[in-house]
Amino acid sequence: MVAIAAHNIQMSFMSGTTETKVLKGIDLAIPSGQIRLMMGPSGSGKTTLLSILAGILTPSAGQVELLGQEITQLSRKQLTVFRRDHIGFIFQSFNLFPALTALENIELALQLKGKKGPGNQEIAFDLLKQVGLGDRVNNLPADLSGGQKQRVAIARALAGEPELIMADEPTAALDSSTGRDVIELMQYLAKNKGCTVLIITHDPRITDAADEITYLEDGLLASESSLVTGLH
Amino acid sequence: MVSLARKNLLKDLPRFLVAQAGIMFAVSLVTIQTGILKGFTRSTTLLIDSSEADIWVASENIVNFELTEPFPYVQVRQAEEVEGVARAEALTIGSGRWYSDGKLTTLRVFGFDPNGDLFRPGDVSDNSMQALNAPYSALIDRTNMRSFRIDGVGDTARIRQLPVMVVGLTRDTQSLVSSKFVFTSLVNANAYISSGFSAGLTCQLGEGDITCINAFQREPDAANADVADPEPLKADAPVTYVLVKAKPGENLQRLKRRLESELSGTKAFTKNELITSTQAYWQNRTGIGFILGLGAIVGVIVGMVVVAQILYTSVSENLREFGTLKAMGASDWDIYSVILEQSLWMALLGYVPGLLLCWGVGTWTAATQGIVVLITPLSAVGVLGITVVMCVGSAVFAIQKVTRVDPGIVFKA
Repeated sequence: MVAIAAHNIQMSFMSGTTETKVLKGIDLAIPSGQIRLMMGPSGSGKTTLLSILAGILTPSAGQVELLGQEITQLSRKQLTVFRRDHIGFIFQSFNLFPALTALENIELALQLKGKKGPGNQEIAFDLLKQVGLGDRVNNLPADLSGGQKQRVAIARALAGEPELIMADEPTAALDSSTGRDVIELMQYLAKNKGCTVLIITHDPRITDAADEITYLEDGLLASESSLVTGLH
Repeated sequence: MVSLARKNLLKDLPRFLVAQAGIMFAVSLVTIQTGILKGFTRSTTLLIDSSEADIWVASENIVNFELTEPFPYVQVRQAEEVEGVARAEALTIGSGRWYSDGKLTTLRVFGFDPNGDLFRPGDVSDNSMQALNAPYSALIDRTNMRSFRIDGVGDTARIRQLPVMVVGLTRDTQSLVSSKFVFTSLVNANAYISSGFSAGLTCQLGEGDITCINAFQREPDAANADVADPEPLKADAPVTYVLVKAKPGENLQRLKRRLESELSGTKAFTKNELITSTQAYWQNRTGIGFILGLGAIVGVIVGMVVVAQILYTSVSENLREFGTLKAMGASDWDIYSVILEQSLWMALLGYVPGLLLCWGVGTWTAATQGIVVLITPLSAVGVLGITVVMCVGSAVFAIQKVTRVDPGIVFKA
C-alpha cells in the first residue's frame, strides 16, 4: 500500500512580477512502512516539497494522497485535523516548547490529539523511556543536550501513534555520532511502530538508515532506484 | 492538563511581575475611581440612610439634602396632627465656624432631638446622645477630630461666639462634599446658627424721607465668659426638615400628598426619594461624577495598553511555537485559547492584588481622612468583569498576529 503519493506537484512563488518555479512536476510514491530519505542541494525544493506533502503548503498544481486520502482538495481546517491525526513532525531546530518539561512537551502533543486525562503522563513517560530519556522527564529543553532534545522531539512526533513521520533535517544540528544515534532510533521506532518516515536531509552519513533515497535537483526528481543503487 | 499559556507566562518571571504590576495599578485606578465615586455619592446621604424616618418634609425649593430653605418650627407640630403620622421630629441644618487653638474651620451644624427616635447621627452611643441635652454640647465625627483640633471627648472649642464641648464621637456621617459636621440638640443648634451677629434697623424721618440704617454688629466672644443657656425653640424658629414616621400600614405616597397639602410651601420625600435625588444631584449636576468616571475609563485604557503590549510581545517572541502548534494540528481555537488563557491569568493575577491594594488604601483613607473608597461585592465583581474584558479585549491584537503565522515557519532553521 502506498502511504505517500504525489502526482505532478508543481509550485511557483511570485517575487514581485517574477515567477519562480520551485517544483516542476514531482511524481512520488512511498510505500507504507518505508523510511525514505529525500536529498538534494540547498534550493532544490526539498523543504517546499515536504511542506506540500505534509499539507502545510498547497501546491500550484498536482495532487497529494496521504494514506489514500487526497489532501490537496481539503480545506485548511480539514488539513489541520488530518495533520493532527496522522502525521508526526520532527524539526531541524527541535521546536520544543521551552517553558515545558520534556514530559509536558509530549503531554501537550497528546492533548492536541484530543487525548485528555491522567493517562497522558504515563504514555509520555513511556515514550521518553523508549527514546532513552526516562531519567530526564522533568528537564526543560534548555537543560538538555542537542541529541536529547531531538530524542524528545522524536518521542513527541510518535505521541498519538501517527502513521506518517515527516522529519526536516533531523540531524543537521547534531554532531555525527549523535546524529547517527538519532537516526538509528528513528529507524528502530519506525519499524517497531510501522510508521512511514520521510526524512529531508543533506547528511550523507545517514543514508544507511533509508529503505530508499529520492534525489531532488532544481525542482525535479531524479530516478529513485538508480540513485539508491548509486549511493549504496 | 499541561497549560502552555501559564508556563509561557511564568517563563520570564521578572517580566511577568512587571506586567502584573501594570495590570494591578490599572485595576487599582478603576477600583479607586469607582470606589471614590460610590463612596462620595453614598457619603452625601449617610445621614438620611441611617435615619428612621419614612418621610422627609422640606421646603418646596429644595435642591439637595443640604441646599434647601428653612421653614418655621410650628410646622413640625402641625405635621404631628396630619392623619397617618405616628411621630414628627425636627432637623435643622445651618452653617457655622469652629474656633479651636486660634484656628478656624467651617462647619455644618445639625440640630435634632437627642431624645427622639427618627434621627441618629451614625454610630454613636446612647450616653453620648443623652449628653447632648446639656447646653452647648456636641458630637463630632471621629474623622474630623484633627480638623477640629480635638483630642477627645471633653475637649472644648467655640462655634462662632458660643462655647462648645465635645460630649461624644461618632462615625460614618461625614459627607465628602460638605464642611465638617457637628451634631447637637435643636436648641443648641439654633443658638449656634444665629449667634455671632446682631442686626438692628434704625430709621429716621426727615423732610419727607425715611433714612434707614441696617447695622450688623459682631457679638463679643462669649466662649470664656458666663453664657446663658440657649433659649427653647420658639414657634417661628427656623428648621430645615420635618422627619415623619408613618403609622404602620400607611401608604407613604398618600401620606406625602397629605403632608404637602397641610404644610404650606413644603415638599415631601420618602427616604429613598431624598437619597436618590440628592445622589443624582451630586453625580449629574456637578462635574464630580464625570471626572471620577473619566478616571476609571483612563484606568481601563491604561490596563488595555499594558496587557495588549505584553500579549503582543509574548506572541511575537513565540511565533515559532505557535507555528509548531499549527503544524502539529492545533486548531485555530487551540491557538486562541492559549492567548486567551494567558490574558485571563493576567486579569486574575492583576485583579486580586489590585483589589487588595484598594481595600488597604480604602481602609486607610476612611480611618484617617474620612474618605470612603466604597468597594461593595457588586462593584468588586463589576471591576473583575471590566478587568477580564480589558485583558481579553487586549488579546485581539495578539490573536490577529498569530492568525497570520505561516506554519511553514517551522521548517526554517
